[in-house]
Amino acid sequence: MISRRALELATAVLTGSFGVAVVVSSLDNGIGWSSAGVDAGTFPFLTGIIVVLGSLYNLVRGVVPAARLANVPIAITPLELRRLAGLFVPAAIFVAAIPLLGMYLASAGYVFAVLAIPRYQSVPRALAMAAATALALYVVFERMFQVSLPHGALVSALGF
Amino acid sequence: MENLQELLHGFTIAVTVPHLLMMVVGVLLGILVGVLPGLGAPNGVSLLLPLTFGMQPVSAIILLSSMYWGALFGGSVTSILFNIPGEPSSVATTFDGYPMARDGRPTTALATAFGSAAFGALIGVILITFLASWVAQVALAFGPPEYFAVYFLAFASFVGMGGAAPIKTVVALAIGFAIAAIGIDTVSGSVRLTMGVDELVKGVSFVVAVMGLFGIGELLVAVEEEFHARAVSSKIDWREVFRAVGRLPRHALALLRSAAIGCWMGITPGGPTAASFMSYGIARRFSRRGRYFGTGEVEGIISPETADHAAGTSALLPMLSLGIPGSATAAVMMGGLMIWGLNPGPMLFVDQKDFVWGLIASMYVGNIVAVALVLLTVPVFAALMRIPFVVIAPLIVIICVVGAYSVSNSYLDVVMMLGFGIVGYLFKKLFYPLAPLVLAIVIGDKAEDAFRQSMLLSKGSLGIFFANKLVTCLIVGGIALLLLPLALQLARLRRKPAPSTDETAVQETAREKVII
Repeated sequence: MISRRALELATAVLTGSFGVAVVVSSLDNGIGWSSAGVDAGTFPFLTGIIVVLGSLYNLVRGVVPAARLANVPIAITPLELRRLAGLFVPAAIFVAAIPLLGMYLASAGYVFAVLAIPRYQSVPRALAMAAATALALYVVFERMFQVSLPHGALVSALGF
Repeated sequence: MENLQELLHGFTIAVTVPHLLMMVVGVLLGILVGVLPGLGAPNGVSLLLPLTFGMQPVSAIILLSSMYWGALFGGSVTSILFNIPGEPSSVATTFDGYPMARDGRPTTALATAFGSAAFGALIGVILITFLASWVAQVALAFGPPEYFAVYFLAFASFVGMGGAAPIKTVVALAIGFAIAAIGIDTVSGSVRLTMGVDELVKGVSFVVAVMGLFGIGELLVAVEEEFHARAVSSKIDWREVFRAVGRLPRHALALLRSAAIGCWMGITPGGPTAASFMSYGIARRFSRRGRYFGTGEVEGIISPETADHAAGTSALLPMLSLGIPGSATAAVMMGGLMIWGLNPGPMLFVDQKDFVWGLIASMYVGNIVAVALVLLTVPVFAALMRIPFVVIAPLIVIICVVGAYSVSNSYLDVVMMLGFGIVGYLFKKLFYPLAPLVLAIVIGDKAEDAFRQSMLLSKGSLGIFFANKLVTCLIVGGIALLLLPLALQLARLRRKPAPSTDETAVQETAREKVII
């Protein structure tokens, strides 16, 4: 279970650290006024400062008035968390597998895995859907629109 | 009258066989993304974007804008038949649309929705026809300070009128600006904010951000709740369609009021979602049958639908004439304009007459095509909703992955897209608005350039933003909008010194639910 408060805090910390990174990084480009006009780092520096300040405000609001958020204590229930993971983890594995397997194999494997392993579909149907997905991608992108999708290290190692 | 001549010329461009086909394809694809949860107009349009690079700009914009109309209509279909809003902007349509359909009048609900939506769109297009070229003419005289002031006003109106928590809006906007700054600085040529990643020199494409924020993010929100697509009958009774549309003029006041709200929210970037909720709220307050709202009232369908489409359409007015998109989808289309080599803004009306008037004429025709197609295809798309979510979800993930990759054949984009997905989920969950974030990514560079050019003109003095009446008005208006939420809060505190915390918490959550 994840409380609304924890989620607010985590998001504020996330946006805040992005802001800090922007501020630090834009200092390299120089801020302020030079002979060429406004320095390249000025605008990002200002936006970074705004992000940091805004995140601090959201952070404090997330912590202090506990009573306000008391009515919505739970942002994500355990069941919802399981569903989220069920969607996101396979998707992340799919993306991680693309450099090795290529778009076609990875997406076919992904479709097969998410349909067949939790037994939403029978194995033959899942196989058929996986094959259809890869084929559709190939026809639409490689053939119709001439966009080459990554073929993967494995396939090129095999000499295709 | 000059406008009408130009419009007629536009019709000769828009009403050709290839362009009509383009509209049909666009509308059908639009209804598809509108119906499917997790795919919406912004990422539908950005998915299609890479495929339009080889087209004539006018054909490309007709395809993309038709997709937008289709998505607006498609979102209403699922709202009414399944109580599942396919688009955030059609959430308000579920309040009365679904009860009416459930009580055995699905055709009436659908026809009322489409009829009033078409009316809203029509008002929006008429507004564009007569106002856009005039606004562009005024804007031709704009220099960098005026431009920066207009950008400032647009962003401030998100904070003041967007409805989400003001500081969260500010954070979303500023993050968008920072993301827009990543890569090579157009003025000095130096590399910014790459954090040591060489590939980031090319910058972060808004398409990648939209795929993640709207595609993966929405999918993650959708997967939390299990879908029970318990459809009411999706058969269309054609006689009832005409009867329902024939009854619309009785609600002329609601139609006009909602169209006005929609146009206002579309031009000042408030977006279709905020427009539909505002229109619904106002209708409930002013209607004589206000207390029956929520049980299947006709005006409860008319108000959000008219405002939604009026806002969606008129969001293209500032995009065309000023180069400031009025909604997230308009922002994506404007990104497309820049990729096709056009410069969105007043010069379009001088240099690209065919493009502008072809688009405006296509909006008239496209909406008629959309109404006809959506009525004809309701049963087909309703059947689509019976496909289990577990099958659709991985397909949408794959579409987003391929879409992000095909922008510039970069694997890093895919990884970033997934990252944006997590951000999109968190932001949606905690009611950070996404539209300003996307808008800032698309026009952040232009706003920054305008600012830096103004500074060069004035040799570093901020006084240039108060140098003439127009600029001063725009800047002061922007500041007023920024301070509006603060002022409202102070006024509320003065009226009710110590409200019980429980009550405010309940109100707050209810308000937040309504906003997003």
